[in-house]
Amino acid sequence: MREASPFHSIPMVLPIAVVFCAVISISIGSGNASGDEPIDFRRDIRPILTNKCFRCHGPDEATREGGLRLDLPEAALAPADSGESPVVPGDPEASELVRRILSEDEYDRMPPPETKHPLTDIEKERLVSWIREGAEFARHWSWEPIGRPSLPDVDQIDWPRNPVDWFVLQRLESNKMSPAEAADRYRLIRRITLDLTGLPPTLDGVDRFVADPSPDAYEQLVDRLLASPAFGQRMAWTWLDGARYADSNGYQGDGERTMWPWRDWVVQAFNQNLSYDQFTMWQLAGDLLPDSTFEQKLATGFLRNHMINGEGGRIADENRVEYVMDMTETAGTVWLGLTFNCCRCHDHKFDSLSQRDYYSLFAFFNQTPVDGSGGNPQTPPVLETPTRDQQEKRSELTELIRGLGEQVETDEQVLAKLLESPAERRSTDQLRELETFLGEPASGFARKVRQLREAKEQQAAINRQVPRVMVMADRDERRPTFVLKVGLYNQPEEEVSARVPESLPGVTRDAESPPNRLDLARWLIDEHQPLTARVTVNRLWQEFFGRGLVKTSEDFGIQGELPSHPELLDWLASELMESGWDIKHVCRLLVTSATYRQSSRVTEESYQSDPENRWLSRAPRYRLPSWMLRDQALAVSGLLVHRIGGPSVHPYQPSGVWEEATFGRKSYPEDTGERLYRRSLYTFWRRIIAPTNFFDTAARQVCVVSPSRTNTPLHALTTLNDVTYVEAGRVLAERVLLENSAKGIGAPAADMIDEAGQVDEVVVGNTEINTEINTEPTEAKPTAEILVTALFRRVLGRYPEEAEREILAASLRRLERQFQETPEEAERLLSVGDSSWNRELDPIRLAALAACANGLLNLDETLTKE
Amino acid sequence: MTGDLGALCSELHRQMTRRELIGRSAGGIGLAALAGLMPKPARADDAPIAARSGGLAELPHHVPRAKHVIYLFQNGGPTHVDLFDYKPQLQKLHGEPVPDDYVEGKRFSTMTGAPQGKLLLGPIEPFQQRGESGAWVSDFLPHTAEIADELCFVKSVHSEAINHAPAITFLLSGSEMPGRPTLGAWLSYGLGSETDSLPAFVVMTSVTKDTTCGQIFYDFYWGSGFLPSKYQGVKFRGGGQPVLYLEDPVGMSRSMRRELLDDITRLNQLKLEAFGDPEIATRIAQYEMAFRMQTSVPELTDFSDESAATLEMYGPDVTQPGTFAYNCLMARRLVERGVRSVQLMHAGWDQHGSVTTELYHQCRDTDQPSAALVRDLKLRGLLDDTLVIWGGEFGRTPFLQGTLDNRPKWGRDHHPYAFTVWMAGGGVRPGMTYGASDDLGMSVIENPVHVHDLQATILHLLGIDHERLTYRFQGRNFRLTDVHGKVVDDILA
Repeated sequence: MREASPFHSIPMVLPIAVVFCAVISISIGSGNASGDEPIDFRRDIRPILTNKCFRCHGPDEATREGGLRLDLPEAALAPADSGESPVVPGDPEASELVRRILSEDEYDRMPPPETKHPLTDIEKERLVSWIREGAEFARHWSWEPIGRPSLPDVDQIDWPRNPVDWFVLQRLESNKMSPAEAADRYRLIRRITLDLTGLPPTLDGVDRFVADPSPDAYEQLVDRLLASPAFGQRMAWTWLDGARYADSNGYQGDGERTMWPWRDWVVQAFNQNLSYDQFTMWQLAGDLLPDSTFEQKLATGFLRNHMINGEGGRIADENRVEYVMDMTETAGTVWLGLTFNCCRCHDHKFDSLSQRDYYSLFAFFNQTPVDGSGGNPQTPPVLETPTRDQQEKRSELTELIRGLGEQVETDEQVLAKLLESPAERRSTDQLRELETFLGEPASGFARKVRQLREAKEQQAAINRQVPRVMVMADRDERRPTFVLKVGLYNQPEEEVSARVPESLPGVTRDAESPPNRLDLARWLIDEHQPLTARVTVNRLWQEFFGRGLVKTSEDFGIQGELPSHPELLDWLASELMESGWDIKHVCRLLVTSATYRQSSRVTEESYQSDPENRWLSRAPRYRLPSWMLRDQALAVSGLLVHRIGGPSVHPYQPSGVWEEATFGRKSYPEDTGERLYRRSLYTFWRRIIAPTNFFDTAARQVCVVSPSRTNTPLHALTTLNDVTYVEAGRVLAERVLLENSAKGIGAPAADMIDEAGQVDEVVVGNTEINTEINTEPTEAKPTAEILVTALFRRVLGRYPEEAEREILAASLRRLERQFQETPEEAERLLSVGDSSWNRELDPIRLAALAACANGLLNLDETLTKE
Repeated sequence: MTGDLGALCSELHRQMTRRELIGRSAGGIGLAALAGLMPKPARADDAPIAARSGGLAELPHHVPRAKHVIYLFQNGGPTHVDLFDYKPQLQKLHGEPVPDDYVEGKRFSTMTGAPQGKLLLGPIEPFQQRGESGAWVSDFLPHTAEIADELCFVKSVHSEAINHAPAITFLLSGSEMPGRPTLGAWLSYGLGSETDSLPAFVVMTSVTKDTTCGQIFYDFYWGSGFLPSKYQGVKFRGGGQPVLYLEDPVGMSRSMRRELLDDITRLNQLKLEAFGDPEIATRIAQYEMAFRMQTSVPELTDFSDESAATLEMYGPDVTQPGTFAYNCLMARRLVERGVRSVQLMHAGWDQHGSVTTELYHQCRDTDQPSAALVRDLKLRGLLDDTLVIWGGEFGRTPFLQGTLDNRPKWGRDHHPYAFTVWMAGGGVRPGMTYGASDDLGMSVIENPVHVHDLQATILHLLGIDHERLTYRFQGRNFRLTDVHGKVVDDILA
């Protein structure tokens, strides 16, 4: 064996009688199924064991059969209940496993036929070869300490730009492949700007970059983008998906919450490049840090973003347990990349995680004072986050109330004196005084009382408006934690204490008090804990390459995918830690690599040899996330409002959608004006009915860390017909028309009428229209070619190819003719959206160009990061 | 094959996309022809139903009995003891405390709490045996009673969850927690689609007027879970456009849109030639489908071609979008046009204090359309390959919720331990009653059918071995029936 097992062994139980009857047909002495290459346990054997054997012979004690477990070497080598040794290294014939998998007897053969997952011949041969070669086991790769691999040797040494490329190139070369040419600057600037800011580049930015002669023009561009406030907004989206952030509770009632100050903190943390270790500690345990700051407490809102079930008849404790499970599993997925949810009910079927491990981790979060009752979307503990305005108003009011209170009190003392003696015994002077006191307006007593009341009402109103972010705290009295039978809140079994999974390196701390969330957070960013850094760089890779080096970014366990470039993953993970968990540093490394800067063109050759682009012989090409599509449309039109932060907004949504989902209890309060044009990040997220013009987005109900990317007709309908895109197309058209008439575009270009005439003869042959258009005043207009080129560049940055320009110009001319015939339709199209169209422009031409822009916003290239 | 089995998944997926493309090409939308593509006739009777596209090559596993499923899902938990599961003993013991041994060890919702000592509540309406099969159906459902000989009543269904959302999620996805693919999503994934102008899995919802029941239709009831989201149900809305963003922007005519799409296609074609990314071809095809849906969906909702007799059969609400009757007729029209799965969800069955009041409205709104759908499908020869399922997430307690002296407020609580589901068509034995609950309708005593068994049986009827339709996620092969389920062979025709 290469290494000692780190796993804790569990006593074997469940003896079961088995019938033996051996007929071995596949020759045990036959050659290696994989050809000359020696068997690799991780690549060739473990997948067979986990897929075909672990269900009955894996880590889950409850379903184990025959006392045999194949996940631990010492157990696989030791005799099982039957007395036979399943695996005898170097001796297939003596290995019971071999006899059983090759058995012809269906009562004897493994896996049993009723599992319907028989072994293939290749798998059988692999298992035999593996045993013949010595039956080496290996620990699961992600459990291994993170090393610092040295850069591999490569042939094409002039290609790599930074260490990332050495690792990528080494794999390409060993697969007899070579990298693609570099992307051209037009495509590169669009790609990098979308990747780092979620927005397309400006036209000026494109032209400047393309013309920039400095050798590090690209690196400078990257630095500018990383420093842009849009960076944080872009990175926040994915974090919000993992954090299941939403603006409502979910479930029946779906009460609105005010967690957005937490969302704004995330944006700020990315923009200020808060190191990832701090980012982690603050969100998991900011409240437990010594003298914790407001922001550190605010950050713990991460854990409270779970759904809240206020359904009538729900058992509070059941809710509470579910919330704590959600916190446990979210943290497990975001930092450890492990699928802990399997362990709610039973030991993990594949990973060395037990149900005890699950509830021990659960115990860290189980100290929340939340009891699970009710559906208050601001369930304490909460952190008040008043705006500056609210803060000022509040202190003004406090002052006012104090002053008025004093005055009223003084008056009341006078009044009390006057009232001391019984009424009939009071002197006339006293009565007069009393009369003045109570009457208007002389003493002002009544006025002051009224003012005090009003001030207090105002104060209450502001207090209600102040956003309250649900945050973490631990209760004073420790709540015991139990393993819950099949995950049921009311089925406690043995008690457990807070600890990290046994098979991973433990927490180092002084054992004075039981470990708390802060200890857990510190453990998560401990350099000896092998998962966090890997999981994190993998997600960053996924952000820019569309898919992680470990494709299952939510699962680094045994059933997850193996990394395509394990050394690169480790190098990046160690680099992240060595850089002091510097996120921007790692982002910069990834996007300045030659790997990232390749062209995404799919050549026949690269497609044949690598259809999935696993080896990165080209840059990835995939559809932009739908939220980015919306931001892109707003940005290219100039409608986008760049302001950062604040309460969520309600951009366009077809009417009746919320009503239908809530039986009329909630109506969508669509905004007007600039709140319609904020970045998608700020769109109000109702959990039971997510914003309708996003697609393939996480539902924000539970933690999601890997993207979904589909291609359906409903997406096409959205980007073709949603007001957002139609209006953006029109505003973009206005912009292009204004720019091109203002500039006069230099040369006295042939005007649109002649253009139309020429083409008409060829394409339509309609001279009547031609004549009609010719009667128009002959002011110089830019040609269709110029307009569509300008439009195209606004959207994609690059110049259209000649063929593209011609298609678009013909399209524009055709549309203009059509709108000429139906001018009222042109005006209707222009009226779409809240913003009003520029009446100084020719409505026919504007409508035609707007329709063209609508088409351009739906071009595959526009929808795609290329 | 490398040892890296996880990669297989995405490779399969990719192959599927390719296969779909080839499928489409064979159906007459060859890539080369795309540039000059004209709108296809949208009417089902004008255009032949497209050959199956998508789906897994190895499916079906056996000869299917049904090609389509219509699930008439009755949200809230219809009261089995008042509708189908006739218990004379319950009538006899009306007002008596429930015997302890009937409820021992059973968990009820917090509204009931401990069941001990609760008073039994006899059926509200009389029962009669119907048709030649002699199936028991109460007077609550006169229309269903008339088609009793077409139906197979399974009276021994039982579930595990006692609250609505988990129980519905369990029935539709095999798990109480959201996040697994639902029945319709599995069918689209496994069997693909038989229409190129409508989605393969359509969902419609309705609620009984003036009901006090406030249940929500969560989108995970028709979600695709970890399957790619193109398999999720497309929810047609109750009012206005059934599909969002279906209408072209005002001012843009159909022909203008068509030509503009042609331009987009030409440009995308150039891109495909230059960049070679097969995803571009899928995009072109999806934009074409979008265009077809803009015609096919309005045509689908235009009932002017339905005869007066048909409309009458479904009842007076049929022309009113958003009603169960309207949705039932839509279900037939969808199936006619090749849609694989139709999931109608009707809320309002949660009679905690209204079995003598709102239950009547509930039955009025659903009884006639449900029966009409079965009849209508049969008349058109569609029932043979369409499986219709009627049922909720659980039944209701044989004991009373409320007080005996306040009849107008009588109610029943959630009851997962025995309830009735009926099925029709699609290879199910008609005129049959299967399984039984005890003499109080409390627990199953004969031929229990667990939710996973029901799911296994539905899949079986569609030609699928429920143990073999799996999807790898988080390193595990998941399936609709989790690790359970057995086909109920006795009810197969």
